[in-house]
Amino acid sequence: MIALVAAPFGLKPYGIYLLSLWVVMTIAAIGLNLTLGYAGQISLAQGAFVGIGAYAAALLTTSGWPLWMAFLLAIALSLAIGWLLGYPALRVQHHYLAFVTLSFATLVFLMLRNEEWLTKGVYGISGIPRPTLFGWAAKAPIAFYFFCLGILTLVSLATWWLVRSPWGRAFTALRENPIRADSLGVDTRRYTLMAFAIGSALGGISGVLYAPLVQFIEPTAFNLNLSLNLLLMVMVGGSGYFLGPFLGAAVSVLLPEWARFGSDALYLIMYAIAVMVLMAFCPSGLLGLAHRVLKR
Amino acid sequence: MLPAFFVLAAMKFGGLSFTWALLVGLLVALLVLGLLFKQLVVDPILRHGVLPLVISTLGLALLMKEGVKEFYSAEAQGFPSPWGGTNLTVFGAVISAQSLVIIAVAIAAVGLLQWFLAGTRTGRQMQATAQNPQLARVLGIPVDRMILYTFLVNAALVALASFLVSPIYLAKFTNGELLGLAAFVAAIVGGFNQVRGAIVGGLLLGVADNFVAAYWSAQYRAAIPLFLLIAVILWRPQGLLGRAEERTV
Amino acid sequence: MNPVLEVRDLAKAFGGIRAVNGVSFDVREGEILGLIGPNGSGKSTLFNCILGQLAPSAGEVRIDGRGITGMRPCQLNRLGVGRTFQLLQVFPQLTVRENLILAGQEHQKSMWGRLVGRRDAGLGEAADRMIEFFRLSALAQEKAGSLSYGQQKLLDVAMAFMAGPRLVLLDEPAGGVNPTMLAGLRERLREINAMQRATFVVIEHNMEFVMSLCTRVLVLAEGRIISEGTPEEVRADPKVIEAYLGG
Repeated sequence: MIALVAAPFGLKPYGIYLLSLWVVMTIAAIGLNLTLGYAGQISLAQGAFVGIGAYAAALLTTSGWPLWMAFLLAIALSLAIGWLLGYPALRVQHHYLAFVTLSFATLVFLMLRNEEWLTKGVYGISGIPRPTLFGWAAKAPIAFYFFCLGILTLVSLATWWLVRSPWGRAFTALRENPIRADSLGVDTRRYTLMAFAIGSALGGISGVLYAPLVQFIEPTAFNLNLSLNLLLMVMVGGSGYFLGPFLGAAVSVLLPEWARFGSDALYLIMYAIAVMVLMAFCPSGLLGLAHRVLKR
Repeated sequence: MLPAFFVLAAMKFGGLSFTWALLVGLLVALLVLGLLFKQLVVDPILRHGVLPLVISTLGLALLMKEGVKEFYSAEAQGFPSPWGGTNLTVFGAVISAQSLVIIAVAIAAVGLLQWFLAGTRTGRQMQATAQNPQLARVLGIPVDRMILYTFLVNAALVALASFLVSPIYLAKFTNGELLGLAAFVAAIVGGFNQVRGAIVGGLLLGVADNFVAAYWSAQYRAAIPLFLLIAVILWRPQGLLGRAEERTV
Repeated sequence: MNPVLEVRDLAKAFGGIRAVNGVSFDVREGEILGLIGPNGSGKSTLFNCILGQLAPSAGEVRIDGRGITGMRPCQLNRLGVGRTFQLLQVFPQLTVRENLILAGQEHQKSMWGRLVGRRDAGLGEAADRMIEFFRLSALAQEKAGSLSYGQQKLLDVAMAFMAGPRLVLLDEPAGGVNPTMLAGLRERLREINAMQRATFVVIEHNMEFVMSLCTRVLVLAEGRIISEGTPEEVRADPKVIEAYLGG
């Protein structure tokens, strides 16, 4: 924790940007980890919700509205749409559910790209301002990093509370044995929809932070690749582990950059091979691997 | 995407003529995308579940793309086409010879595959393996080899698709993603356990896609396969032509 | 006094196969009703129809006079119906204690109340009591997946009782449990039956278990009830002997 607070002070702006990006992606990954890791519902649509949040923030703040309104709008939208996305999960599971969420994500991308009257399409929205908090302008890279870190802390605390509450237990039951859960009075339908809604809302929050971070957004950033990347983060970090998303996002955002210093051309190839080897030997991710090692 | 580059590499580094390069490309595709893919990627990971395999294939896709980009070229390469750019006029509509050849080859390939699966002993063994692996094993069918054949057939078909498509779209390391997704959707819409389903799915998709693009909205053409996919999965998960399979609870 | 469970003309057909073919019976409060019959006689299907896992083709089910045919399992649970499964169904990643808390938590307050309320939904002591009652104290903090089969069975039964149900349907509770534990299980079931005034319906193949535990026995064969009465009466009934031995 202390490392996170101290980290940006020695870094150049690009380093601080990366750190902030890691924070933002972690929030989205926490959401996906909730839906997938805890509740066992596969979603390939998390990237779309980041997009929804980002565009909500971009459109509102460039028109002069404050960022907290963007948060409210993004959360409301993501909750509602996420809840609706949960309905297919009541009918189909696993790879079929993956395809449905994949289609949804691509549809959102198409809408973001085509509805130029709203989103300016492929031209994107630029000049997204950073927020001012009670007079303190979070404009400089370091200041904005701390703003993001603050939001991450809030999100983490809320998620920790959720996961340790009876709801968390119900989500685990939903993942491990939905039939048994049903017979014990767990309303599996409601909890499934909730898992989607909350996970998606976190994606939206992530998007609201993403827009002012990069200050220029366009639809391609939120296509299927982002959803797949978030899935990779959750699986590599360790699906269902609380700290999994933190680790997974670090691997996905920071590792390729760090490896770039070692070998300019081959870093992506090495990253790809590393991911494949990890999945072969420890599908429960890095934290699963650590767990296994510690148990001995 | 990859088989086309095998051919190009064979011509560039091996100095082979186009026809020989095609053959070499096909063989290398069978080896790498069939045998090696199965032994090195699918077998070790599949027993951990589908999701780890999905992530691995994501990594593999990245590996293949970056590999081609680094070791060959990041630019689009021309791919030779034996039938050139000739066009035919049929009933007033201009159709390129290329398109006709592609349709003909597709139909021939599916017909051949269908005959192979239903008409030959190996093909029937493969079907048995798909329907009930344990029983197949008891009956003496080499199950693992049958599964390998499936991967080999897939590699061959993928190579064929690559050779047919690359002359039109050029060979570039970013190729294949859109087509791969379309193939996936076509397979599901048509029905996963039926070979004819694939052709129905592909045809339906291709026609719908182009009609929508031409007569309605070019921007939302990519939405058609998605709508079809959602509709099929939610209301008829076995696909249009598929047989309903029992789900183990 | 109204029976706790009433089943009227229940039928379930799978295609051409009539698994349950017109079954009617009542269960009175406090009874321990045994349901026996040769394999394939329709016992589990009957259970699944009563419990909302399957939709019956015909007939109706009432609990305390209230029609429940076709209700979802979680709704039934909240009406006070519990069940155990033939195939073991505990939550392997949760500890024994957590399993029990989960089993009872959906009865505490509302869903939102559970979000902001106590972590254990106020069930910590109840879970501990249940653990002690079933002699599982040494295993309370172990992950359920690491327990032996017999211990998981006990946990399964314990979970069915956490919410204090009026009616519990047990699907082969003795299956795979070793003889020493079996006697203990029977004692626990008798005690709970007395303590909670709960009513049981038990499917079993283990004759000795059924006869020593149940107050009344129904015999099912080919989807129909062919005999009914006290354990002794049923054991002596020639129709029953024929159903088990005949072909």
